[in-house]
Amino acid sequence: MAATALAAEAHAFRDEQDLQETYHANGWTDGLPIVAPTPERVEAFLDAAGLAPDALLGEVPTREVRVTAEHAAINAVMAGCRPDYFPVVVAAVRAHLHEKANCHSTTGTLSGAVQTVVVNGPIRTEIGIECGAGCMGPGFRANASIGRALRLVIRNVCRAIPGVLDRASFSSPHRFSFCFGENEEGSSWTPMHVERGFRADESAVTVHSVMTVDSAVDFVSRTPEGLCDSMLATLRRNGIAGDEFLGEDTTAMLVVGPEHQRFFDRAGWSKDDIRDYLFPKFGEDPGPGGRTVGIGKKEGILIVAAGGDGMAQTWVLLPHLAIAITEPVVANA
Amino acid sequence: MTDRPLIGLDPTSGPLVRTDERALPSRPKSLDGHVLGLVANGLGESKLFLDAVYDELTREEDTIAAVRVLKSSVSVPPEPADWARLTSETSLAIAGMGG
Repeated sequence: MAATALAAEAHAFRDEQDLQETYHANGWTDGLPIVAPTPERVEAFLDAAGLAPDALLGEVPTREVRVTAEHAAINAVMAGCRPDYFPVVVAAVRAHLHEKANCHSTTGTLSGAVQTVVVNGPIRTEIGIECGAGCMGPGFRANASIGRALRLVIRNVCRAIPGVLDRASFSSPHRFSFCFGENEEGSSWTPMHVERGFRADESAVTVHSVMTVDSAVDFVSRTPEGLCDSMLATLRRNGIAGDEFLGEDTTAMLVVGPEHQRFFDRAGWSKDDIRDYLFPKFGEDPGPGGRTVGIGKKEGILIVAAGGDGMAQTWVLLPHLAIAITEPVVANA
Repeated sequence: MTDRPLIGLDPTSGPLVRTDERALPSRPKSLDGHVLGLVANGLGESKLFLDAVYDELTREEDTIAAVRVLKSSVSVPPEPADWARLTSETSLAIAGMGG
């Protein structure tokens, strides 16, 4: 790649321990140990994505922040990524910095909204993104470090420091890392990135800022309609407020586990059939205690196949004041 | 082993460097004679709350005037036209949020 010099200030440390303690003391970590972001490691990451250090990934105008590839690479090294994960981190950062992903609001909010990263396409198997059992939890290096990298960028580069510009009252454990893949091989459905305009053999990352992580647990229903009604009840219990800035484009994400998928499969229901059932009900009276689900288009219902066998569950990820943005993963050819 | 120091790069975007002359003004001792900007973000009861603040302030202090701004979206800062009103017509502002 072009030999543009790294711009970040370089600090010398006696040893690894000295570096760790200094980074913690400077407020440059999420509280967990980090990998030392040496110039050599950072350059290897930039090479993996074919990006110059000063390549602009996005901006946060209200914070007077410009996020470069170098910023992202330093934080991805610190998060424990491998160089071949870095193109996924770049796509996630670009998605999060899209105007409608609303970085300022979603990372400053009292509600402690979390940034969910969903990976689609061949890159999942190439780098080992977990899509099945346990995919939202610990134990998978790619999932853990990619989600962590985005959060470190948000903290270190986008200035979302808890108690300062990050005003979250409680924040969330999902803010350490929240990344998983769609189980495309285990599902008959069209992958989310294909529904959003990419080819199946392309890789893409969708970032969704989520205010509430809830689930529809339904061990009883045996029909698509019954399962959809359980999802609808979860959506109405929480509600989704409309917002002028986002207009009709508000999104919510349903992460459907295999125990629910099988009933949709048996009935021949596609993702679009689920939307066709749910969307008209958003305009109906939500009933006592129910809240309005302010999604303006049926395409705003994002559906992802993921998770493992056993639990009859669909995770319902309700948005903060942002829409889900999908960006392509571009590796250095 | 080597004596060469370990080099680590600063992961931040650096300190905020202002290129303009903005600075935080000092707080006035009195609101007398000021025009107060009241900016409600639209969440919860923020507008009602700031209306009540306005009523309370002007009940006995008829020398205080106010410009009320209700953001068009809770998601983003005020529109440029609202910023213009606040900066040209007011001398103090209170931003309120609700939940």
